[in-house]
Amino acid sequence: MADVVEELTPEQLLEARRNRFRVLACVDGSDESYRGLRYAADVGHAEDADVILLYVRPVDQGMRTGGLQVRVARENMLNWGLELPGIQYLKKGRDQLIELGEMASNWGEKFTHTDVDGDPLGDNKIEYRSENGKSIVLKLKVAPSVAAGILDQYELGPYNLIILGASGKAGGIAKALWDPAIAEKVAMHAPCSVLAARDLRRGHGHLVCTDGSEQALAMARKSARMVHRTELKNISVMSVALDDESRPEAQRYVDEAVAVIEEADLEVRNAFVRVGNPVEQIIEAGEDYSLILVGETGRTGLKRFFMGSVAFKVLEYANKSVMVVR
Amino acid sequence: MNDANAGQIADEAVKSPTFANKVGHLLYEFFVHFVWEKRWFFIALLVGAAIILFVPEPDGLTHKGLIVLAMSVVAIILFITEPIPLPSVALLIILGQIFLLGEDSATVARSLWNDSVLFILGSLMLAVAVVKQKLDKRIAWLIVRMTGTKTTRICFGISAVSGVLASFIGEHTVAAMMLPVGITLVTLTSDDPKKVRNLAAVLLFSIAYGASVAGIGTPSGGARNAIMIGYWREFFYDPANPETQRYLIDYLRWMTFAYPMFLIQLPFVTLILFMTFKPEYRDLSRAVVRLRSLVEAEGPMKSADWISIFLFFLVLLGWIFISDKVGMGTVAIVGATLFLVAGLVRWEDINSGVNWGVVLLYGAAISLGIEMKDTGAAKWVAESFLGFLAPFGADQGLGLWGAVSVLTTFVTNTMSNGAAVAVLGPIVLNVADVAGESPIIIGFITAVSSAFAYLTVVGTPACTIVYASGYLKTTDFLAVGSKMAITSIIIMMIAAAIYWPLLGV
Repeated sequence: MADVVEELTPEQLLEARRNRFRVLACVDGSDESYRGLRYAADVGHAEDADVILLYVRPVDQGMRTGGLQVRVARENMLNWGLELPGIQYLKKGRDQLIELGEMASNWGEKFTHTDVDGDPLGDNKIEYRSENGKSIVLKLKVAPSVAAGILDQYELGPYNLIILGASGKAGGIAKALWDPAIAEKVAMHAPCSVLAARDLRRGHGHLVCTDGSEQALAMARKSARMVHRTELKNISVMSVALDDESRPEAQRYVDEAVAVIEEADLEVRNAFVRVGNPVEQIIEAGEDYSLILVGETGRTGLKRFFMGSVAFKVLEYANKSVMVVR
Repeated sequence: MNDANAGQIADEAVKSPTFANKVGHLLYEFFVHFVWEKRWFFIALLVGAAIILFVPEPDGLTHKGLIVLAMSVVAIILFITEPIPLPSVALLIILGQIFLLGEDSATVARSLWNDSVLFILGSLMLAVAVVKQKLDKRIAWLIVRMTGTKTTRICFGISAVSGVLASFIGEHTVAAMMLPVGITLVTLTSDDPKKVRNLAAVLLFSIAYGASVAGIGTPSGGARNAIMIGYWREFFYDPANPETQRYLIDYLRWMTFAYPMFLIQLPFVTLILFMTFKPEYRDLSRAVVRLRSLVEAEGPMKSADWISIFLFFLVLLGWIFISDKVGMGTVAIVGATLFLVAGLVRWEDINSGVNWGVVLLYGAAISLGIEMKDTGAAKWVAESFLGFLAPFGADQGLGLWGAVSVLTTFVTNTMSNGAAVAVLGPIVLNVADVAGESPIIIGFITAVSSAFAYLTVVGTPACTIVYASGYLKTTDFLAVGSKMAITSIIIMMIAAAIYWPLLGV
């Protein structure tokens, strides 16, 4: 990865990247993924933030094509001077960023290419850099699967937030066609926050869910910093009590979270407690917001495997965008 | 403090890893990453073991037959669910024959190669060689010169030419060769993909379906045809009995059976496409003008171009006139060798363009199919299948043909069509034998129906290649594929009922 700034060693580069707020927006050509990109632009508006656009193309398998590798067709396309899929999606994303004013067309441009075994195109990257160091990167990546590609990309440089477009409402035909495994896999394995964009509209605010645990407070703090980066700075807090008796307790959790968020110079719009099944209540309350923020409950290992977690259930069943905050 | 650091500190505070936690995490990783992702592999093995160990031998099936049947069931589950790389299924089949059936390894090794497998090997090498000749721009120009600039006529021209080529050299070759033609016509018309979505659909599907319906036309149109010819010879031909001579189907005889079907289907391709998608542009003159300048930039035909066309026709003539004596595989190998010797294609290109695992896979699948026949397992399955169909009155005639066709169409939509024929061939040929139907007609129905995988992206090679362009959606395949499948089945049934009996089978 010594290909970005010549003077830096890989270690220095990683260090430099840790000091920036880096957003990875995964683009697949769907409208939803571009809505996710708009959010990425919103969060990554500040000078110390970078936005990386990623398109992952699965490696072609020759088994499906009667033994003739797809690369023969792809090489033929390249011979004709045609673009392979993905490039135009990334370019469209870049044009949207220019339209939003996040990026000017006079930024410095740098192109890098890495060969990937068995693919005529390999990995390609265009980095645009402004004078004061903010960068926007377009990256076309080839990987065994989309989820693996996104997770690989995290390894290359730490990110603070990964955004994926997740089309379709829960339960519909669209959901069956969209592969839910991608968002879930990435959310489960990525070490940073992951946003699955569903019908992501700006301006309806963020809803932070807390369960009173240490992690939930740490996550509220992180969410506050994240929301601070957006233009509207609209944030609300909720907690769910399992029954009426534990209502005061839940109220206390909410108050704690509100205090943490206000420490970060943010005004909390709404703070409320609901009673019932946490997953159902969060999804229901989330209908009025653009984005639900849930923390991972911190279960690890077998416990998580067998018991599942509220965060992933919300991610799976919500009709709205969900961010798993880490 | 920045966010990432804060996150790390918070994380460390939360997870003070105890020993139990670590073991738990390891087990979790093991379950999630290995067992869960490979679950179908374990399910398949369990099913196979259960059949061998616990199922009592049914009437008319030997213990060996039961083992072969269990192996086939495992192989089919693995083909469909793909928990492990497909060539490793081939390796499992080989190991199963040696360890479970107790066969001699030399016998098993010999059963992996026959003329059908040689044909698959040779035709894949030929496919790369043909695509590398870069004659596609000239072919495109030829089409457009004949059809003019109207979208409907160009689409028909593309599917007709793709079809005729594909009927001889295989649909994957033609799809790989013609794909840039389709995309170029689209991009030269408009740069905005949203404005030409339907145009892209009709042009690209014209290539894919034109090639797909043609794959049945001649024995060299697809691996499945060669496999079926191999099965007929293997199962019914007895050199001592001149009566069985009719089960040796040569190149021209296959063509008289199947080529008319391809020609009849051809106009329906264009018709169905234009009924499903309404292209945004009725006339492509803008793109055609630019295409001409692309072709003119190529300059006049070079001697290498002429040589490759000559070699191509040589191979074609070899298939038509001497393949019944030396074998279709031999002719394909001769062709590939000629292209290599003439220096028209580099070995590196062939090496990276052919998926050698497919050759291994077909070899193993055919070997298992022959084992199905030798142990009597195929016969037993055939009798059971007929017993199942009898209550519906579908154990003979048109009903049986329909049942075989539906079965094949279903199987071929879940796996590659060559594999479908390799797996189903022994069974359906035994069905024909037991039911007193002509094995030729039933065999043709299977081979032809295996081309009807229009519904899914992965169904036919041409569809997969065209989908790789990124211009089509999976839902497009469903929308137009179902209409195509119904039309094709109807045309085939008419051919089976009226045309084929006229040819004396």
